Amino acid sequence: MDANNSVTLKTVQKAADTLSGHVITTQVQTDETLDSLSGRRLFFKCENLQKSGSFKFRGAYNAVSRLVSSNGRTPHQLQVVASSTGNYACALAMVAKVHGVTAHAVMPNNSPECKKRTVLSHGANLTLCEPAAQDITRTVKQVQNATGAVFISGADHPDVIAGHGTMGLELLRQVPNLDAVVMPVGTGGMLAGVSVAIKSTCPEIRVYGAEPEVANGAAMSLNRGERFTFSRFPQSIADGLNVNIGAVPWTYIRSNVGDIFTVSEDEIKNAMRLVWERMQFVVEPSGAVGVAAVLSDSFKARAVGCRNVAVVLSGGNVDPDKLSEILQM
Amino acid sequence: MASAGKSYCISFQNIQAALSTVKPFVKKTPVMTCSHLNRLANRNLFFKCENLQKTGSFKFRGACNAVSKVVASNQDGPDRELSVVTHSSGNHAQAVSLAAQVQGVTAHIVMPSNSPAVKKEAVKSYGGLIVECEPTEQSRVDTADQVAEKTGATMVHPNQSPEVMAGQGTMVFEILEQVERVDAIVVPVGGGGMLSGISVAAKELCPHAKIYAAEPKNADDCAVSMARGERTPLPAPPVTMCDALKTSIGPRTWPIIRDHVDDVITVTEEEIKAAMRLVWERMKLVIEPSSAVGVAAVMTDKFRKLPANAHQNVVVILCGGNVDLEHLPWMSQN
Repeated sequence: MDANNSVTLKTVQKAADTLSGHVITTQVQTDETLDSLSGRRLFFKCENLQKSGSFKFRGAYNAVSRLVSSNGRTPHQLQVVASSTGNYACALAMVAKVHGVTAHAVMPNNSPECKKRTVLSHGANLTLCEPAAQDITRTVKQVQNATGAVFISGADHPDVIAGHGTMGLELLRQVPNLDAVVMPVGTGGMLAGVSVAIKSTCPEIRVYGAEPEVANGAAMSLNRGERFTFSRFPQSIADGLNVNIGAVPWTYIRSNVGDIFTVSEDEIKNAMRLVWERMQFVVEPSGAVGVAAVLSDSFKARAVGCRNVAVVLSGGNVDPDKLSEILQM
Repeated sequence: MASAGKSYCISFQNIQAALSTVKPFVKKTPVMTCSHLNRLANRNLFFKCENLQKTGSFKFRGACNAVSKVVASNQDGPDRELSVVTHSSGNHAQAVSLAAQVQGVTAHIVMPSNSPAVKKEAVKSYGGLIVECEPTEQSRVDTADQVAEKTGATMVHPNQSPEVMAGQGTMVFEILEQVERVDAIVVPVGGGGMLSGISVAAKELCPHAKIYAAEPKNADDCAVSMARGERTPLPAPPVTMCDALKTSIGPRTWPIIRDHVDDVITVTEEEIKAAMRLVWERMKLVIEPSSAVGVAAVMTDKFRKLPANAHQNVVVILCGGNVDLEHLPWMSQN
């Protein structure tokens, strides 16, 4: 862990070295139909094609890798624990397995079944709990006490945030004349990390977040100038975003992020359908929130002068059986 | 395997010319790999992602080549509105519509009146002009002929047109830039346009590569034709989830297939469904049932039994990704 726990361009660059050869440098795709719908040139960063099916693999890999190299014990003596609605747990399970480390995932019991199955398929231990902040915290503590596992927060751990930030470095190389980057916000780890990478290198590039209206914690925080948290977790169809923005990500979001756009449940479904039908990519509801944002009226009104916009397709872990249920408008 | 001196309706030179013609219009689609599927198949699989092609299928290549020919052959002619006509409700319809639109040509698309709304919408979104017909083979053909006569439009057949076949073959050039050593290519087959184009190109560019056709068991005219040594179209419209593979191979594609294809692998509807889910879940790619046929083929016992050393690097064509999300195979009652 970096000595002063902060996320800087340097820690993101170090993360990129750590991830090199282990994480996919995902492709950037374009689509003419979506360009004309948005009135911009869109560049889709395909993190749905990342290992474990979402960008979470980046942060998880960086954190576990650094833990293993800095910790005195051999990997098989190490245990890690984290709480997650799904994708971070899947990533951590996969990363832990690769390193020979035991993983424990604490997941709300209403997490998608396919994500619970994936966590188990990688050999991690799964504990379910009520979908409430106190239950999650308590359950994580129980696991820590019982196993001595190291807690690696998916939201607040600087190594996780720096790992996610490597996407920003890739985008700077992959997209010429980049004007703005848009990505979904849940706990804010991706937005924080990518904003550090982008703003430290090219401060004129705008960094935007995208959120469901019903899970608009980050937007509320940005508007108020202080971190806002829900007492009860929101219930958006974008299951990965039914969380509160983390304290550590908030410090970076507050300084680096220009705006956060919120979208309705129908806009999310519409965007998801567009990606499936027009781009032939599997994207989960959370993964399509950035797309919904760039197509929204508020983006058209407020994101003035952004011609070349990168949009992160953050994940593709969705159950094909649930598809028609999810897409019902 | 091609007999010297035999002439087919397309040559390697046609495909080479098609490459320069279509290059400004088509996407050089990526080749993707998946370690999980490699483990399942016990091969190195290289998926050519034509589901990511413009209009969502490889058909755009052939359509571009055919439309370009219409434009080129009118270069010195009178300045008039050029048009093309085809009968298709599927991927070819969308492909021809866009290929025509980008080259300033009008596209008349003859579609059965009962075609799904999503397909009609797609054709319209690419600028195609829909002409409805009765849902019978005869009506499709007759209506297309009528449109051709009335408008002077040039017919672009989905799989028997040489320009279309040559256009489909252009993907082999890309594949060889993207995959280091190709041992085999697995290609879904319907009318045989793609299979023929790929076969002729591969014969020249990678003659040691084996060519395998992949077909639904429920629409196995290519397999039967190969076994009998004579073209044997399906006796009745087949029942298969693979909308795009219901056509039988035609008189122009048959000789090429007969002489170039090493074998045909047929797969059941269940195998196709399973392969489609596998690619969706593991590769996060939306592929239509017809695309899953190639994936299902490499998972069959028949394919597994092929000698490993000669079949290590296998290219599988994911030919399209236009699915009706309201009617996915695993949702139906069968």
